[in-house]
Amino acid sequence: MNPALVQAEIAQLIQTLSTIGAPLQALLPAAAVLLVALAVVPAWRPFLGPAVAASAFVLLLGEIVLVWFHWRLYDLAVVVSPDTGRIVGRVAVPLWVESEKLYVWALALALMAVLIRRHRQELLPGVTVILAVLMAGAALWGKPFTEPLPSFLGQYLGYLQAMASGDPARMFAAYQGMEGARQFYYNTVYMWVHPPALFFAYATFAISFVATLVMMRERHSAYETTSYRWARLGYLPLTAGMLLGFPWAIIAWQGESWWWSGKVNMSIMMWILYTALLHARLYLRRKGMWRWVAAISILAFLVLLLTYLATYIVPGAHSYM
Amino acid sequence: MTEPVRQKNWDFALTVITVALLGTLGVQSFIGTLYVWWATTAIPGFEISGYGQFVWWMNAIAAPQVVALVVVMGLCVPKRLFDRTALVVVSGAMIAIGMAAWAFTGSFQNGLAVYLALAALIQAGVVVLTVAGARGPSYMTEGRLVKTGSGLLHQGFIGFAFVVVALQRSAFMLPAFWIATALTLLGTVLAFYADRFAWRKTVRVEVDRSFADEQ
Repeated sequence: MNPALVQAEIAQLIQTLSTIGAPLQALLPAAAVLLVALAVVPAWRPFLGPAVAASAFVLLLGEIVLVWFHWRLYDLAVVVSPDTGRIVGRVAVPLWVESEKLYVWALALALMAVLIRRHRQELLPGVTVILAVLMAGAALWGKPFTEPLPSFLGQYLGYLQAMASGDPARMFAAYQGMEGARQFYYNTVYMWVHPPALFFAYATFAISFVATLVMMRERHSAYETTSYRWARLGYLPLTAGMLLGFPWAIIAWQGESWWWSGKVNMSIMMWILYTALLHARLYLRRKGMWRWVAAISILAFLVLLLTYLATYIVPGAHSYM
Repeated sequence: MTEPVRQKNWDFALTVITVALLGTLGVQSFIGTLYVWWATTAIPGFEISGYGQFVWWMNAIAAPQVVALVVVMGLCVPKRLFDRTALVVVSGAMIAIGMAAWAFTGSFQNGLAVYLALAALIQAGVVVLTVAGARGPSYMTEGRLVKTGSGLLHQGFIGFAFVVVALQRSAFMLPAFWIATALTLLGTVLAFYADRFAWRKTVRVEVDRSFADEQ
């Protein structure tokens, strides 16, 4: 491995991604404003369905660009042992970390919004507003095309510089950090299952939340059924994703009190609330129970949002701070 | 074999206790999260000097709640099989055996593990009887596949609790975890989507109604 050459190729790759993706990234906030307008103005609602489908298409195009970027990065991001000089592996950076998290969530929600059939007319305005927020957030906060993977690239470029330094102590320390991240974070099978399962669930819960709001407005059980159907669709990947986090946490955070990390706490609260929601509706025939079901559904979605934000604002094992 | 009305009240009571315990744990977690958020900015060096003590306090406050939660989860199991008198006897026996294991081994964790193992055993009986179509087990849901799903997913949760309580440092941790996870997920799929897999389709009467008159 020639560290300088790899560094130059990565810089070239980032430049190409930025050239292709920057217009797309600029388009997303504009599309978000348009979507909100279409959702809010009743006379424009007939255009909402096609606009959501077009947004899903644009997001999908962007995702294809990101897949290409990650594929090329996988070719370049090799980890070499300073002892033997041999390649021990390549870093497979998943498509749902760092700057790309909101983008994946927006993509999942956009695709689901296209697929909504039951109560489509009633749900689409609310779902579109959430989609618009996610799209704007993905473009303005995440910046996946112009500022891709800042944490990974920072660490990897630091590793390349250490490998080029010729200082054995520095090389070994950088290698240990990079190889640890490769084995226990980026390349682990849990990383490739746990986050996408949760983002799928988050998208379904957003639709379930909107259906609950419609239920409260219309005061009819048909919307509760719709809300329940979306919630149960998300509950399975949520449970699977969270269960899979357990052995991963035991391996990756050995010796740490990870269970009191803010993110883990909030995630468990979210799961508990969605479990409570699915159980509470068993008693829906009791008079007034629908209010409790609605309250739990809204609280669960608020906790979902806090769970997402906890990664960035509360320190702990599962934190980006 | 069962008394439906009393059974439903017992069901509801256990649900309320479970929700209350989960609620208090949730409040504790939330306050703890807020405290860490505040402390890391307000107390210099909190992560090095104060976080250990925070974890100690959180563990100490949560422990009795978690134990109560495990006990309630265990009590949810025999309700499917036994009538009220037998239910009290079986539940009491489960707790007594767990406490005896605690006293005998000197480890509270072992006592909980034995208690959970008993719950898992009874739940396995519930699942077998449900799959066989026996009339004994009582559920709030309808349809054999849905009931089997509910039985399996609760078996999975008991299995997961057993892994957390007893197997975290054991070589059996991962195999047991995967079995518990598979049972939970299979059970969830059956409980939610049984109508898609059912051989004999039953027409579920879902009566839509307005909530407008309900205060």
